[in-house]
Amino acid sequence: MSRPGLSCPGCGSSNIVEDDLYAQQQLVCVDCGSVVSEGALANDPVGGSEVSYSRTTAVAKKPCMNLIKGLQRVKALCRTLRVNREIEDLSETYYNQAYQHKSFIKVSLNKKEVLAGCCVLVSCRLLNWPITMGTISCLLDADSMVVGAVYEEMVKILNIKAPIINVTDVMEAHSQEYKISSVYVPEELAENSKDLTKRAVALVELAADSWIVTGRKPIPIMMAAIYLAWQSLKPTKQRLKYSLDKFCQIAKVNKHKPALKRITEMKEVLCKLGKEIPWVKEPVTPDNVVRLMEDILQHRDALLRRALRTHEDALLADCQASCEDSLIEETAPSQISEVVEQTPDLSSVELCESNAERAKQPGDGDDNQCAASEQHSYTQGSQDSSQNWGKRVLFAPPCVIHAKKRRVEQPEPKDVTGDEEISDSEIDSYIRTPREARDFALAQKMFSMSESEKS
Amino acid sequence: MDESALERYFDDSIANDSSFMLGEELGLQSPTSSLQDSSYLSMKAGPSGDLGAELDLSFLPDDLSTQDDTAEAAQTQASVLDESQDSGVCLDYNSQDSTAADPQQGMSSLGPGTGTSPFCPMTPMTPMTPMTPVTERSGIIPQLQNIVSTVNLGCPLDLKFIALQARNAEYNPKRFAAVIMRIREPRTTALIFSSGKMVCTGAKSEEQSRLAARKYARVVQKLGFPARFLDFKIQNMVASCDVCFPIRLEGLVLTHQQFSSYEPELFPGLIYRMVKPRIVLLIFVSGKVVLTGAKERAEIYEAFENIYPILRGFRKQ
Repeated sequence: MSRPGLSCPGCGSSNIVEDDLYAQQQLVCVDCGSVVSEGALANDPVGGSEVSYSRTTAVAKKPCMNLIKGLQRVKALCRTLRVNREIEDLSETYYNQAYQHKSFIKVSLNKKEVLAGCCVLVSCRLLNWPITMGTISCLLDADSMVVGAVYEEMVKILNIKAPIINVTDVMEAHSQEYKISSVYVPEELAENSKDLTKRAVALVELAADSWIVTGRKPIPIMMAAIYLAWQSLKPTKQRLKYSLDKFCQIAKVNKHKPALKRITEMKEVLCKLGKEIPWVKEPVTPDNVVRLMEDILQHRDALLRRALRTHEDALLADCQASCEDSLIEETAPSQISEVVEQTPDLSSVELCESNAERAKQPGDGDDNQCAASEQHSYTQGSQDSSQNWGKRVLFAPPCVIHAKKRRVEQPEPKDVTGDEEISDSEIDSYIRTPREARDFALAQKMFSMSESEKS
Repeated sequence: MDESALERYFDDSIANDSSFMLGEELGLQSPTSSLQDSSYLSMKAGPSGDLGAELDLSFLPDDLSTQDDTAEAAQTQASVLDESQDSGVCLDYNSQDSTAADPQQGMSSLGPGTGTSPFCPMTPMTPMTPMTPVTERSGIIPQLQNIVSTVNLGCPLDLKFIALQARNAEYNPKRFAAVIMRIREPRTTALIFSSGKMVCTGAKSEEQSRLAARKYARVVQKLGFPARFLDFKIQNMVASCDVCFPIRLEGLVLTHQQFSSYEPELFPGLIYRMVKPRIVLLIFVSGKVVLTGAKERAEIYEAFENIYPILRGFRKQ
């Protein structure tokens, strides 16, 4: 408190104390009150005090403005989609985490908005609220490939395992978009969304069993299903005349071009089943199958079984015929074994077993031959025998049935060792002659001059 | 050439199937069957080596740093595992050797020596009953489609000069900072950088890639540069094959969620990232499979043999 050894210049007293005035140290004389010294400022360490200026004047660290805006965007998206509170909270958590990560902290604002959408998407998937990536892209007004890329990166960084969406789950939400109820369109064209969804879901399930859905984008499939369902709910001439284009116009949705192909594929599958209906006498074509769609969908299990049985009988008949013709028939038995293994999950196990038995039925002699050649074909590997196994089964993924013609590869030299001699003439063929090089240089110069003249 | 490599690979795994089965009997710790499916070969090395020694049966991780106490056996195994990281074919021999030698006390004599000679003849010390292979062979051989390799020509290059003097070269510095050169036989493309480094792509086999890289080096030599042929290395191999039955990708992603990624809105195929060997497979509904990320042919064959039973499981579902 008191400082010995100092004397006040005013009164000479040695009663000097340290006093803090406004946090500044002062040495003051008790007797006369004069200030002996105010050392604080002069005694600062060289180069500034130990506490830096920015730290002493800083306010508590505020969260980044863009982060706050991003979180608001997440909230807005959740409100638009009308998801529940849990999903909203989860998306905000994920957004916080992802935003701070080094891969996302410095990206453009555009991408950060896309990131917000992806957080909502992944939370919806985890908490069983199915929406498609297409929906999110629409909401964000972004390209779905960009959304996809950001989504994949985010999932990798945050190490999330989100289940994939089921097309049938998304169908209901998707069909709400179609303005096809009696409020919007005249009575003959109207359908309520519940009936539409039910019929479309049945159609999508059938499509899934016959390999139309796997690997394809879901939205064109849903569009095709809804269009066909709409047509079949009231298969009047008027409705059947409506093309997909016109349908999308009255329902006020954007048409997706692949939906046309899906419609064709679904009609093919329906025709294959329609043929099996016992009370239908006329041939079933893609034009008249829509009228039969209700019956087909209602009895699709039974019709599938019948169709498979018919197909196998036809193949067996072929096999028998070809077995009788030639002793070594490689393809036929593998057809049967492949068809047996092809049966989709709808048909029962006993069907497979009965097929296997029936495959062994055709005569003992044939059986041995077929069995022998079946062994042969197995050891050869299924690759040779099946040039297009898709053409021989009833249902196959369309990319197999209509396989693209592959460019025929030139047979490369098989026994290359890598250390062969390289002939000089071959290497010379890759090098320009001096004259050629001169001509080329000249031409390049002239070309670049004309370019610069033009610009 | 690929046939004999494949035969060698099959011979190795058949000969080592005994250690396979024993490993499975020892009660593998990992609960999920999916792990077993895709990484059963990694399990082989662990338990089989543990037979003779008093080690606990927990799986040894891939990057073994230091093992103390029951160190001898562990060290041998560590060095063996480290050696075997590089080549899928060697793995079998090493685990067999360490199993065989473990009962003996001369473990210190083993050391890293076991790893270095992959083709030493098999002389197991303890007789083992041969067992049937765990899985059937698929009978399908993936065909190599593309090999990417790099080589260092060892001298700086004047790209403008090369582009001027070579017929088969294109050079557009504004677009890309390398000369793109092509040769007809083997049909390949090379990217030649001014540092002297070169990337060769498009070959269908390792030998063809090497021959092509040498031809490019000869062209550069003929143009007057002191080109050499240093550090030739295969960086990536891509192969494809067809299992000839359709595959339910939705089912596969459900059961193998940790390894698969299937987003039909983005890409029609399922991306399966196999852990051992580290290969990425693109699996399509048509049954076609593309394998990539391999540095050696054996990795591709191993990856396909791992995935084939999994895909077969999805055939009837």
